[in-house]
Amino acid sequence: MAQKKYIYLQPTPVRTWHWINAFGFVVLILSGIQIRFPEYVNIFGSYKAAIELHNTAGIVISINFCLWLIYYLFISRTLVKTYVPTTDDIRYGLVRQSIFYFFNYFLGKPNPHHPTPDDKFNPLQKSAYLAIMLIMMPLLILSGIVLLNIGSLSGLVLALGGLKIVVAAHFLLACCLCAFMFTHIYLATLGETPIAHFKPMWYGWEEVHEDKEH
Amino acid sequence: MESKSRVFLLLFFTFCTSFALLVGASLASAWESAECQGCHGEAAMVGNDLVVNAEVFATTPHAEMGCPSCHMVSNSHPDGEPVKKLGCPMCHSKAAEEYSGGIHAEIAACIDCHDPHSALGAASVSGYAMNQMCTNCHAPDTTAKSHAEWLPWLPQTEVHLGTVPCVTCHTNSKEMAITWYISNYKVPDGEFTPVSYEELAERANNGEVPQIIDTNNNGRISINELSTFNTADEYRKLHLAGMMIPEEFSHDFAMPENRWDCTFCHASGPDALQTSFVAFPEADGTLQRLPVEEGAVLDALYATPNFYVIGATRNPILNWIGGIILVGGLLMPLGHGTLRLLTMKNRRH
Repeated sequence: MAQKKYIYLQPTPVRTWHWINAFGFVVLILSGIQIRFPEYVNIFGSYKAAIELHNTAGIVISINFCLWLIYYLFISRTLVKTYVPTTDDIRYGLVRQSIFYFFNYFLGKPNPHHPTPDDKFNPLQKSAYLAIMLIMMPLLILSGIVLLNIGSLSGLVLALGGLKIVVAAHFLLACCLCAFMFTHIYLATLGETPIAHFKPMWYGWEEVHEDKEH
Repeated sequence: MESKSRVFLLLFFTFCTSFALLVGASLASAWESAECQGCHGEAAMVGNDLVVNAEVFATTPHAEMGCPSCHMVSNSHPDGEPVKKLGCPMCHSKAAEEYSGGIHAEIAACIDCHDPHSALGAASVSGYAMNQMCTNCHAPDTTAKSHAEWLPWLPQTEVHLGTVPCVTCHTNSKEMAITWYISNYKVPDGEFTPVSYEELAERANNGEVPQIIDTNNNGRISINELSTFNTADEYRKLHLAGMMIPEEFSHDFAMPENRWDCTFCHASGPDALQTSFVAFPEADGTLQRLPVEEGAVLDALYATPNFYVIGATRNPILNWIGGIILVGGLLMPLGHGTLRLLTMKNRRH
C-alpha cells in the first residue's frame, strides 16, 4: 500500500508571485478586451477605467516579472536548471512527455516525470515556460512600456516601424499568452486528482506516494 | 415647425441685410483693393497698426471680396474721418451666434484669433496651426499640466494634445476626419511641425508636392500609394503625422458632454475614421488636401504605420489571427479533455 508523503515544492515567494501574476493576467485580459472592443464590451464602467486598470495591472505584472527574474537569477540561482531543457530533455524527454500526454495518459499509464524541488518541470513544461517567460513576457512587457510612453519614446516607436507594429505585436503576444493560460490551467488538472497540482501552488506542499518515488 | 419658420425668416433677413450692406459698401466707395494696398501695403506709410501684408491677404478668402467690402471709406480718404468697418457677424452670423453665448466671447473678439487679413479657410489651416492660435492665450505648459492632473483624466496627455486640435474636444464641432501632414522623422513629445513647401518641393518631381504620395497624379490617394511612400528609402526621414480634425466647425466653446467619454473617439463603427486626407503645403502658405481611400486608417502595416487610435483603428485581420491563436489554445483542453472523459475508466486504480 502506498504511503502519503509531502514534499515542499513551491516556496512562498514563488506562490505569491504566481497568484499576483494570475490575478494580474485576468485583469489585463478583461481590461484588454474592453480596450480593444469598447463598443461591445464594458466590464469596468468606462473606457478610461479600463485603460487605467490595464496600465496599473501591466506595471504590477512587469515589476512581478522583474522580481521573478531576480529571484531565480540571483537568489535561488536556479533559472537555467529550472527552465532550460537539458540535452536529454530535448533528445528524449520532449517525445516521452508528449507520448504521455497524448497517448499513455488515456491508457492510465503513469506520468514519466515526478516533480521534485530540484526538478519541478517536465521537459514540455520547461520548453513552454522558457518561451513564455524568457521570450514572450519580456516582449509583451517591453511593447507595453513603449505603448505607455508613446510620447517620450516616439523616436523608438518610429524606429520599430510605427505605432501599429508595436500595437500588433502587443496584441498578438497577449493572445499567445492567453492561449497558453487555457492550456496551463487545463494541464494543471491532470494530476492524481483534478486539484492535485493546484494544492502545492496554494499551500506549497505536494502530496506524493512513496511507491511512486522509486 | 413654427420655430423652424422663425429661424428661416431670421436667416433670410440676415442674408438680405448682409448682401445689401456689402453691395452698398462696394458701390459707396470707388476704391479698389489694389489702391488700398498702395498705402496699406507699406508700414512706412500707414504705420504698423494699419499695414496689411498683400501677399498673405491674397491667399485668404477675404481677398476675393476686396477691401471695400468690409471697410467703408469716402472718396476723399484719407480725410481724417474714421473708417467704418463691417463686423464679422455680417457674413459669419452663425459663427457669431454660436460664439456669443460662450465664455470666450467676454474676453476675446473674433480678430483676436482670426486676423481677417490672414485668416485662411478651415481646410487650409493645419491642426498644428489651429493649436498655435489657442496657445496665444493658453500657454502649452499650463494646458499640458491641467490635462494631466492626478489621476490624469486624459491619459497619454502629450500625445492627445499633439494629435487632437483643441477645437475637436472644446467646441461642438462635428464630422471628425483624419488629416495627415508630412512631418520630419523626429517627433519630440508627440508634437510635430509639418515639413515646409520648399523642403518638399525639392524632393518632388517637377516641384509638384502632392506627387510625393499621389504618384499617379489622379487627385486621390490610394492605400497602395500610402504604402509606397511609407516604405520608400528616399522618404525614410519623412512620415505622416495624423490629427483628428472636425470637418464641420462650431464656435460654441461649451464642451459637449460626449467629449468626456473616451469612446467618442476610441470606438470603432462602420463610419469611424474612414474619412481622411493628406494635406500638402502650397507655395502660398495654404494647404491642398487630397482625399484618401477608405480603409487607410485601418490598414495593418504600411498605409498609416504610425497612426493608431486604440479601440477605433483595430485591424480586422489581426483580430482574426488573434482569434485563431485563442481557439488554438482552447483546442488542446477541449480535445484532450474529451478523450480524457472517454478514457476515464482506464485511470481508475
